[in-house]
Amino acid sequence: MFNKIREIHDAFDRKTLSSEELTHSYLSAIRSSQHNAYLTVCEEEALAQARAADLRIAKEGKVPRTTAPLLGIPLGIKDIFTIDGIRTTCASKMLDQYVPPYTATCVSRLESAGAVILGKTNMDEFAMGGSNENSAYGPVKHPTHSERVPGGSSGGSGTAVGAHLCVAALGTDTGGSIRLPASYCGIIGIKPTYGRVSRYGLVAFASSLDQAGPMTHSVEDAAILLDVMSGHDPLDSTSSFQPVTRCFEATQQQPNWSRLRIGVPKEYMIGGLAPDVESSIQASLKWFESQGAKLVPISLPHTQYSVAVYYIIAVSEASSNLARFDGVRFGTRPSHFQNDLLSFYKKVRSGFGPEVKRRIILGTFSLSAGYAEAYYQRACQVRRLIRQDFEQAFRDVDFIAGAVSPTTAFKLGEKSSDPLQMYLNDIFTIPANLAGLPAMSVPCGKDREGLPIGLHLIAPWFAEENLVGVASAFEKARG
Amino acid sequence: MSKEIHREIHVDEALTRKMADLARLELSDVEVVTFTSQLEHILGYFEKLQEVKVEGVDPLISPIELETPFREDRMIPSLVDSEGKPKVLQSAPDTLDNGYKVPPIL
Repeated sequence: MFNKIREIHDAFDRKTLSSEELTHSYLSAIRSSQHNAYLTVCEEEALAQARAADLRIAKEGKVPRTTAPLLGIPLGIKDIFTIDGIRTTCASKMLDQYVPPYTATCVSRLESAGAVILGKTNMDEFAMGGSNENSAYGPVKHPTHSERVPGGSSGGSGTAVGAHLCVAALGTDTGGSIRLPASYCGIIGIKPTYGRVSRYGLVAFASSLDQAGPMTHSVEDAAILLDVMSGHDPLDSTSSFQPVTRCFEATQQQPNWSRLRIGVPKEYMIGGLAPDVESSIQASLKWFESQGAKLVPISLPHTQYSVAVYYIIAVSEASSNLARFDGVRFGTRPSHFQNDLLSFYKKVRSGFGPEVKRRIILGTFSLSAGYAEAYYQRACQVRRLIRQDFEQAFRDVDFIAGAVSPTTAFKLGEKSSDPLQMYLNDIFTIPANLAGLPAMSVPCGKDREGLPIGLHLIAPWFAEENLVGVASAFEKARG
Repeated sequence: MSKEIHREIHVDEALTRKMADLARLELSDVEVVTFTSQLEHILGYFEKLQEVKVEGVDPLISPIELETPFREDRMIPSLVDSEGKPKVLQSAPDTLDNGYKVPPIL
């Protein structure tokens, strides 16, 4: 079993392994898996990509790691990314038969780098959820504890990596949807700076918050994927003109510990943390200190408002984005209806699941006449205050550290009847989305039941190289 | 939840039904009951924001400063399938020639 792209490429170079063999082994693991991690498996396409990779390796004598850093590497792609000709459901009955005519930019960049696409991974419907229990195609199981959730919304990608059903996977993070499953599944997950990775070809949930990123076994692999995906895309006007990241190089160097200042927000450490999570985070902070980094107590005073701000903004943007499901361009239509447009739309839109309906209704409320000022506009104002908290903090520190989640993976069904309880679980991950900051989850220990705990690292805007540099050193030392 | 909050926004089944109508969503009677109590709970929690002083704060719509990029004015052909039909139509419930077909609504 291989965990790292570098090890796989070494095996390709030595001719002890081919991409086709590796792809076959993953496809067979997916077939026999009970995790429900994949919604669509692209067997023929994957094998064709693998054979093409093998031909290229044979022709060039070895893997051209600079020009094709993902050559022959089997990946799982969250079913929110479009791929030309491959069914893309977003885990919703609304898109049950949707076959997009184009490929998301970040997926086409992975393919250009030689990746093999094994299939589309399960998720919460339209990425709305933190446990992957909101999929129209059934929940995903945690990779090692089958009675527990993998986290969401990129739960299929989290389990696919954690249960060795792919080498690495792609997720999206609107309020923690990469970092939370990464934390619960014991893998690496990076949410890049807003605008770092093109959103072209992502089914939109909340456009000012959504961002795609890698989910992997190692920081080095996450760096390789991010370097391939990042950079401006003319097809997404919100993608940044910042140069492409050079994260891989950063993972090969030692951070200058004596100059590093790590901010520890008091709002992230008070109450509510499970004891094992808290002790694991404290031990991680001590390790940074032992390397020579300085721990700096900081305050992010508006943290307590972030869940309310996030849920108002996210549902408002979602209700607007999901208005496109009108039965004209995709989806299904009722066979019988009176000549009444309202009832037509209601029939067309009956395929949304309960959480999606709840959020559309909340968003409609937050944007409606008489309420928009008190809800949506006020939330956007507090959002600025939350960003200002970070601007202030990053004058004194290089990183902010804490827990990804107050607990480890919870049991299936444990929180599904209380939406607010589920929303509050996102308290630590949401602020980075509201402010547009890069952030990641790195495994830092396990609780008494053997469930993984994730250390949360947040960096200033576009400082992904520094982020992965520190995370990589931490990972190697804690190995 | 404080009583004051519930006085400010009174969430009842009529409000849930009205919002569902505006969003073009059909709810079952059971959903109306469930959603109404959940909305009350969630909107009550949102009331927390009323205690923040926001006077004079400019709303933040996008988390990063965006430049407006201009593209070269260049024609890019639409995606078509092997028969020359626009690929964008392939998942449409109904089409006519090279367009979407919609039901009569008048």
